[in-house]
Amino acid sequence: MKKHLVLILLVLMASLGSASAAYKVGILSDLTGGTASVSPPYGEGVKACIAYVNENGGIAGQPIEFIQVDYAYNVQQALAAYKRFLSLGIVALQGWGTGDTEALVKFVAQDKIPVFSASYSAHLMDPAKAPYNFTSAPDYSTQGRAGLKYLREAWTQPRPPKLAFVFPDNPYGTAPIPAMKEYAKELGFEVVGQENVDLKAIDATPQLLSLKKAGPDFIWTGGTTPSTAVIMKDAQKLGMTSTFLTNIWSSDEDLFKMAGDAANGHFGLQGAVIYGQDVLGMGLIRKLTKDTPQMTHYIRGFVSMLVMAEGMKMAAAKGEVTGESIKAALETMRDFDPMGLAPAVSFFPDDHRPSMSVNVCTFKNGKLEFVKTVALERKKEWLGH
Amino acid sequence: MSMHKCGLFYTSYRAEDGLFRSKFQKSCLVLFFAVLLVCPQFLNSYVMSVLNLILIAVIGAVSLNLLTGICGQMSLGHGAFVGMGAYGAAILSNLGLPFFPALLGGGFVAALVGMVFGIPSLRLKGIYLAISTLAAQLILEYVFLHASGLTGGANGLPVNAPHVLGYAFDSDARIFYLILFVTTLCVLAVSNVARTRPGRAFVAIRDYYQSAENVGVNLFAFKLQAFGLSSFLAGIAGGLWAHYTMYITPEQFSMGLSISYLAMIIIGGMGSVLGSIFGAIFITLLPELLNLLISSLGGLAPDLSAIMIPLKEGVFGLMLVLFLIFEPEGLVRQWRLTKAYWKLYPFAY
Repeated sequence: MKKHLVLILLVLMASLGSASAAYKVGILSDLTGGTASVSPPYGEGVKACIAYVNENGGIAGQPIEFIQVDYAYNVQQALAAYKRFLSLGIVALQGWGTGDTEALVKFVAQDKIPVFSASYSAHLMDPAKAPYNFTSAPDYSTQGRAGLKYLREAWTQPRPPKLAFVFPDNPYGTAPIPAMKEYAKELGFEVVGQENVDLKAIDATPQLLSLKKAGPDFIWTGGTTPSTAVIMKDAQKLGMTSTFLTNIWSSDEDLFKMAGDAANGHFGLQGAVIYGQDVLGMGLIRKLTKDTPQMTHYIRGFVSMLVMAEGMKMAAAKGEVTGESIKAALETMRDFDPMGLAPAVSFFPDDHRPSMSVNVCTFKNGKLEFVKTVALERKKEWLGH
Repeated sequence: MSMHKCGLFYTSYRAEDGLFRSKFQKSCLVLFFAVLLVCPQFLNSYVMSVLNLILIAVIGAVSLNLLTGICGQMSLGHGAFVGMGAYGAAILSNLGLPFFPALLGGGFVAALVGMVFGIPSLRLKGIYLAISTLAAQLILEYVFLHASGLTGGANGLPVNAPHVLGYAFDSDARIFYLILFVTTLCVLAVSNVARTRPGRAFVAIRDYYQSAENVGVNLFAFKLQAFGLSSFLAGIAGGLWAHYTMYITPEQFSMGLSISYLAMIIIGGMGSVLGSIFGAIFITLLPELLNLLISSLGGLAPDLSAIMIPLKEGVFGLMLVLFLIFEPEGLVRQWRLTKAYWKLYPFAY
């Protein structure tokens, strides 16, 4: 037994101590926790991009080395994982969820480690509050506004469209609601109701029944794909004719597996393209994945790393690559096109919104299909709200 | 020729009731603290952060142990009381109060709320009380999210790193001393409470409430005291957590946190302060060790680690179940057995 322990310790020390001339990037993933259905493809996308960058000359000739840690969507474990990354000498971090990203905001600012997360809370876009936080997709509020803009422009009837909100009563669910209500009013929507459906709900009939009376034309749902499936199936059961607008985490390629034809005709908002979409970078993605279709989260993970790598290259062109220089380089980035895989990305020293463009997608015949990229104006007063 | 006693013999009740009964115990403790005090010089920020997390978990576990292990009042809302203290301390600290007053303030806020939610304990016992404290958890989570004027709601609340007497505790190694100091005080406090009249009253209530009442223990008063004291310490743990992470959101104080504190005291050994400490260490370290093991396996056999990662949660759960089956009295019993074995080594009989 003792021999085994010694052996394990030696292996651990060897794996910790192996130093090399590479830029280290930490990948914080949830492989076993509450978001384990969407985090693994996102992480795979990040890793595929690192492999791609390394094959194509790396960062000024130096490869990127990644360290992936599963934190099971637990804030304490995320904190420990971050400290482990730090002791291994990372220069940047690919983060994941809302809870962990927010718990690390102050740490990354203190340690000067730029983070690209998949949490798109609006306040993370404001460098005054979160100086080292970046994302590759616009915040939840911007996404919601873009969705509303699309619906309003497609609305042809003379009366104002009726809108209702369904979301889980948690930080992620409630975050974009005030911004969307305000913008809906501005666009001339009539807000007719709001209901809370838990992420783990198996029935949404009571909430939908009370909404049915109000007869909304459109219903916003911000939850997860399983909770959206429950809501859509129950709406179909109740014979509701409302069209759903779902946010970035509320629908993906898996929705049809769970909701069947109840998903037909509804809309989803995405920050990256869909696998197989006709854009410049799709050939590369097809090659990297050997033509195996991947979820859009994979592509977003790829884009997230591509933007970070571009920042690292820009930093390398100017001098040393450190967390601080990557941040400074990223803030000079203007209209960087991630091979068409996502809308062009710009960062400013006082504004970390990557873009104001959102991809509107729809569900048709068992497939997620791209509809249109909706662009909004980069308004100052929307930053962080 | 020097003579040694072959056991511990007391000539007064006071001596028998002492916390540290032998010189050997005292010197071990001094050595332990000496090691702890110098370790920030040698360990990296990862290990220090795990130590900090353990120390904060120790306060949470020891305080829940006071309520559940010593007084027998089941609580599923401990995570929310920790959150109450975190928000209380963070708000006071943001108002400009120095670290220690803000920490104590957070503790008092948590104590007050804990006592309010402890009121049903007069009429409710066992599983029924558990459900009513579960309600406390849900209500407080709702408050954290919706009292956005105070708590920042969904956006969370930033807190500054603690400054004490002009010295900034802004790194893992520095704040470690602060957390170690507070944790030591809290653990000493609970160990001492267990030896006082209220402590004995708590045990009497746990063992049989009617007998306790018959010998003159005011059930309601003492149950409330247990809730108040336990929540106060939980609040202190929360205040430390808030100042350590420097950013708190409602998600950090969910049901999962309450459950993990319960797991700590069960694994460690209910009713024992030392057991709670062991439990806190075990539950905090286990995922870290599993992660390290899997990542080192990844270097040797990448295929194996791909299979191992999804199994991680299963391994975690399995270890808990096996523990409960084979060591229902917790880690502290193993500790006692080991101690007993070495006491007379090699002449065990």
